[in-house]
Amino acid sequence: MSSSYSNYTNSPCAACKFLRRKCTSECVFAPYFPPEEPTKFANVHRIFGASNVSKILHEVAPHQREDAVNSLAYEAEARLKDPVYGCVGAISVLQRQVLRLQRELEETNADLMRYASCLGNETTSAYGGRRS
Amino acid sequence: MSQIKTIHNPIGSLKRFLDLLWITFILFMTLKGGTNGACAACKYQRRRCAADCPLAPYFPAEQPKLFQNVHRLFGVKGIVKILENLDEAQKPEAMKSIIFQSYVRDRNPVHGCLGITQHLQYMIWLAEEELKAVNSQLHLYRNQQNNNNNGQNHHHNQMIHEIGEKQEDITSQLDLGMGLPINNNPSTSFFSPLNVSETQQHPYTYEANNNNNGYSPSATYTNSKEILTNTSLAWGQNGFPYHNSGFINQNESCNEIKSNNGVMAIQSQLVNLQMVSNQQEGEGDDVHEYDEIHQFLDIIDDRQSFADSKEAYASSSGESLKEPIGEIGENELRSAATCFSLTSVS
Repeated sequence: MSSSYSNYTNSPCAACKFLRRKCTSECVFAPYFPPEEPTKFANVHRIFGASNVSKILHEVAPHQREDAVNSLAYEAEARLKDPVYGCVGAISVLQRQVLRLQRELEETNADLMRYASCLGNETTSAYGGRRS
Repeated sequence: MSQIKTIHNPIGSLKRFLDLLWITFILFMTLKGGTNGACAACKYQRRRCAADCPLAPYFPAEQPKLFQNVHRLFGVKGIVKILENLDEAQKPEAMKSIIFQSYVRDRNPVHGCLGITQHLQYMIWLAEEELKAVNSQLHLYRNQQNNNNNGQNHHHNQMIHEIGEKQEDITSQLDLGMGLPINNNPSTSFFSPLNVSETQQHPYTYEANNNNNGYSPSATYTNSKEILTNTSLAWGQNGFPYHNSGFINQNESCNEIKSNNGVMAIQSQLVNLQMVSNQQEGEGDDVHEYDEIHQFLDIIDDRQSFADSKEAYASSSGESLKEPIGEIGENELRSAATCFSLTSVS
């Protein structure tokens, strides 16, 4: 963050460079789109458009803007890689994985219970045998 | 007599005429809106909705918020740009994912879909850790049982054999992608979930699992935990978070989607491990791999179009807007639970 702040005083941010405009100190993109990462802005601009991104950033609290930009950059990159599903594809894969693991866990838990009850019976019978 | 009256009261007749004109106008507008309504996209842009309007199938007039979300995130130009490079068969899928993505961004303007991704990664990590612990415990029991069995009678050997067989059956069932009965009763769970410290930052970041993405969002744990509490509740209901945490869609268009891709069908699809393994091998190769995306539309509700739904929810619960997601989650869960029981019965 600090590096990007110091940078935009010297050279225009990636957004202003891309849009070929003067990067002022009030530039909303400058702290989040440093000139060293030109593709980050290019991707976001290609998918969402600079004006939409700017609107979103203005609606979000300043301390949350970096997260918002990062999530937008992630979504834009995912959409460019997979124009049909974008990041929703990744979500569905993860959902399946979670479901599979939860089912596996249920089954393993059930096995564990069976073993536990089996051992429980065993110890009871052994104890009963000794008593008689 | 009446003629005389009208002649005598020209202002009154003019008033009556104007009233009549006004009523006709209202009637005309109602009829126009009711029978020949423009789609939400055209309505929003105030243009004529042609019969071949490409956006009309995805944005019904009754769901203006749906289009507003997409318009806010992508813009009409953006959608058209994405769609123009796709095949006809891919377009509906792309639109569904776009609508879902926009809906999520509307609900969570900071993290959007990345919030869900991170939450799911956390869930995976949690489940893997728990599975590891349960497996080690199971291993211990097995060893103990084997030791005991050396000096025990045949009956016990048979019992273990049965358990072993049962486990093999389960594995084969899982391999074949068959559904297994899930015991959702938490009291029967022998091994309780791991006690993960709530302040602990989970080690699975987006970077750790996904394709060399350079962005490492510093999403705070409290935020992901908020989502977790909403959706982890949902897991217990029918094991499908984004259906459960979503709304009930009462729209005809979405009911169609629902009937085509019913909850039960989605669940059986999701259990199919073979598909998962295929997907992991070659992600994005097959359109059918993302069959379950249909269900995402289920969460997008017309209720959203009833302005300020968030505020309404918050005021109904009588709490401040400090944690709107949590409050909505409760309401959604309640309604979704009813929905689920109805769909599963039908």
